[in-house]
Amino acid sequence: MSVSPTGAHPAPMIAARSLGKRYGSVPVFEDATFAIAPGARIALTGANGAGKSTLLAVLTTLAAPSAGEAWIGAHAVSRASSALRRTIGVLAHRPMLYEELSPGENLRFFARLYDVPAADERCEELLRALGLWRRRDEPTAVLSRGLHQRLAIARALVHRPAVLLLDEPETGLDADGLALLDELMLCAPGVTVLAATHRLERVARWADGTLHCARGRIAASGAAAATPVEACAPLVAVRT
Amino acid sequence: MSAHDVLRAATPHAEPRAGATLGATCAVLAKDLRLLWRRRASWLAAATFATLSVLTYAFAFDLVTDDVRPLLPGVLWVTFLFAGVVALGRAFADETEQGTLDALLVAPVPRTTLYAGKLVAYFCALLAIDVAMLALATVLFNVGLLTPQLLLLTALGAAGYVSLTLLLGTLGSRVHAREVLLPVLALPLLMPLLIGGVRATGAALDLPHGDAPWLWLLVVFTFWSAAASALLFPLAVER
Amino acid sequence: MNAARALLGAAHAARWTALPPLTGVAMLALIVGAVIVAPREAVEGEVQRLFYIHVPAAIAMYIAYGITFVASLVVLWRRDLRADAVARAATSVGVLFTALVLATGAIWGQPIWGVWWAWDARLTSTLVLLLLFGGYLLARSLADEHDEQAARFAAIFAVVAFLDIPIINMSVRWWRTLHPQPIVLRMPGDQALPDAMLAVLAVGVVAVVLLALWLVALRADTEQLAQRAAALRAAVDRREDA
Repeated sequence: MSVSPTGAHPAPMIAARSLGKRYGSVPVFEDATFAIAPGARIALTGANGAGKSTLLAVLTTLAAPSAGEAWIGAHAVSRASSALRRTIGVLAHRPMLYEELSPGENLRFFARLYDVPAADERCEELLRALGLWRRRDEPTAVLSRGLHQRLAIARALVHRPAVLLLDEPETGLDADGLALLDELMLCAPGVTVLAATHRLERVARWADGTLHCARGRIAASGAAAATPVEACAPLVAVRT
Repeated sequence: MSAHDVLRAATPHAEPRAGATLGATCAVLAKDLRLLWRRRASWLAAATFATLSVLTYAFAFDLVTDDVRPLLPGVLWVTFLFAGVVALGRAFADETEQGTLDALLVAPVPRTTLYAGKLVAYFCALLAIDVAMLALATVLFNVGLLTPQLLLLTALGAAGYVSLTLLLGTLGSRVHAREVLLPVLALPLLMPLLIGGVRATGAALDLPHGDAPWLWLLVVFTFWSAAASALLFPLAVER
Repeated sequence: MNAARALLGAAHAARWTALPPLTGVAMLALIVGAVIVAPREAVEGEVQRLFYIHVPAAIAMYIAYGITFVASLVVLWRRDLRADAVARAATSVGVLFTALVLATGAIWGQPIWGVWWAWDARLTSTLVLLLLFGGYLLARSLADEHDEQAARFAAIFAVVAFLDIPIINMSVRWWRTLHPQPIVLRMPGDQALPDAMLAVLAVGVVAVVLLALWLVALRADTEQLAQRAAALRAAVDRREDA
C-alpha cells in the first residue's frame, strides 16, 4: 500500500461503512467502518465468538448485512453480483470439498464453475505447486486434514482472485504447508488479503495491519487504519 | 514455476465469456451425476425399498387375482412416491454438511443454475428407478406397462416430484427429525400429482377414469411446481 | 393509497378497543340467530344448524391462510421477523378453524350419511389443508424462533402451500366425481337458501371472521412482545459482559 506523490490515497479494495450483522435480535458486530487498500495484507484477530467468521461471511456474500454496507472493489456486498464473486477467493472453516470426488475432479469442477481459461493446465499447475499431484486421483475422503487444507487453498486460488478472504487458513497445515501458505497467499504481491487468524506470533511476519474484533466492535490498526475512511467516498458515490 | 506465476491475479475481465453460464450448468450437472454414481449404493437401497413396496402390496392387497388392473395405478404411484422419499431425503443434506453449498454460493454462478443441475441429475436417477419398477410390475402382474404413454406419465410425475422436493430439501440441517419432516411437508403438496397420475395411468390402461382432464392436471402441476421451485430456490438457499 | 394506509393504521391501532366488543356482540347475534331465528331445515333437521358455524369457519380458515401468505411474502421481501410472528399466529388460528370445519362437518354429516366420514370432496380437501399447514407449524416449531433462515424456509413453504390450495381443491373434487355421493350437505351456492338462513349466515360470517382476526392479533402481538423481550434480554446481557 503506498501513498502517491500528490498525497491522495488509492481507492480501497475492501471497505465497510457502519456495517453491522445481527442474527435475529442478537447483534454480532455493529457500526464497523474500515478501508483496506489494494495489495494490503490485514490480519483479522479476536477471541472465539467475537465475530471474525461472521464478518468474513458478510464480506463473502454468504450472509446479508443487517445494517450499513461493504464494498469489494467497486461492487457492493449486499448486491452479491457475480462480478464481485469472481473477484474473491474464499477459505472457510471447513474445507468445502466433495469427499467422494478426487482432488483432480474437485479442482476441475471448480475451475469449470469459475470459467477459468485453460482449466486443465491451471489445475495441474496448482496441484503440483501444492504437493497434491501424486494423489490427485484418490478420493478426497482418505486425505489428511493438512492435505484437505492444501486442496482448499488450491480451490480458493484457481480463478486467480484479486482479493483473498481467509478464515483461519493455518488450520491443519504442517511446516511445509505453512511455508506454501505464506508464499502463495499471505505474502503474495498484488493481492489484497484479509485473513482471520489465531496464530498471533506469525501475524507480524506477513500482516501490514490488523482488524481486531471485540465486544461487537471492530477496531482497525496499522495499514487498515492508515487509509482514511474518506477514501470510501468515491465508492459511496458509485452506490447511489 | 514461481509462486508469483501461480498466484498472479487475473486480468479483470469486465464480463464473463459468452456461454459461461451454460458451461457452469453443465459442470454442476456433471458433478451431481458423478456424485450420484459414486453414491449408487444408496440408490440401490432406494430401488430395493421400491421392490419391497410392490411385494408388500402384493401380499397385503392380495394382488394375485385375475383382475389386478384396477389396483395397478395406485400400487405404482404409491411406490414411486415412497421410493422418491427414500431417494431424495439426502439431496441437499450432504452439500450442507460438507460445506460445499457455501462454495457453490460464493462462485459467480446464478443460484438457479445450481438448482437446474441438481434437478436434472436427480430426475434422471428417480426416472431410472421408476422405469425399473414399471418393468418389474410388468413381469409380476402380467400387464404391459412399458408403453410410451405410461413412460411419459412417469416422467412427468418424477419431474414434478423432484422439483418440489428439491426446494423442500433446503430445510436446514440443524432441524431435528429432518428426514421425517421432509415427506410430511412434501406429500400434502403433492396430492394433486398423485391423484392426477393415478387417474391418468388408469386412463392409459383403459380403466374407467371419469371426464376430468387428468393428463392436463399432471402437466400443469409439474410446470407450476418446477417454475415455483426454480423461482423460490435462490431465496431458500441463501444463508 | 395513502388513505388506505391511514385507514389500516387506524384500524390496527384500535384493535384492542374495537375487536373484543364487536366480536362479542356478533357472536351473541350468531348464537341467537342460529338457534332461534333460523328456520328448521326440512330434510336434515336440527343438526343442520351447525351450518352457521361450519361455513363461516371455512371462510375464516381461508382468510387466516391468506394472512399467512401475505405475511410470508413480507418475510421474504423485507427479511422482517415480525412478519414471521404474524404468519405463525395466522397459521395457528387457521389450523384451529380447519379442525373446527372438519369437526362440524363430521357431526353435521353423521345423521345424514349414517357414517362419520363419507369422503365428501370439500371435507377431504380440508383434511389435506389441515395436514399441510399443520406441517408448517411442525417445521417452524422444530427450529429456533429467532432463526432467520428457518423463518425464510417456512415462508417459502407457506407461499407454495397457499398457491397449491386451489389445485388441491380442484383435484380432490374431480377425484370425488368418480364415485358421486348420494347426499351432499346443503351449502350456499349449491341450491337457493331462504332469506332467513342467508341473514343468519351473513351474521355468522362476520362474527367468526372477527373472532379469527381477534385471535390472530392476540397471538401475533404475544409473539412480537416475546421477540422484543428476547432482544432486550440480549442487550442487557451484552451490557453486563462489557
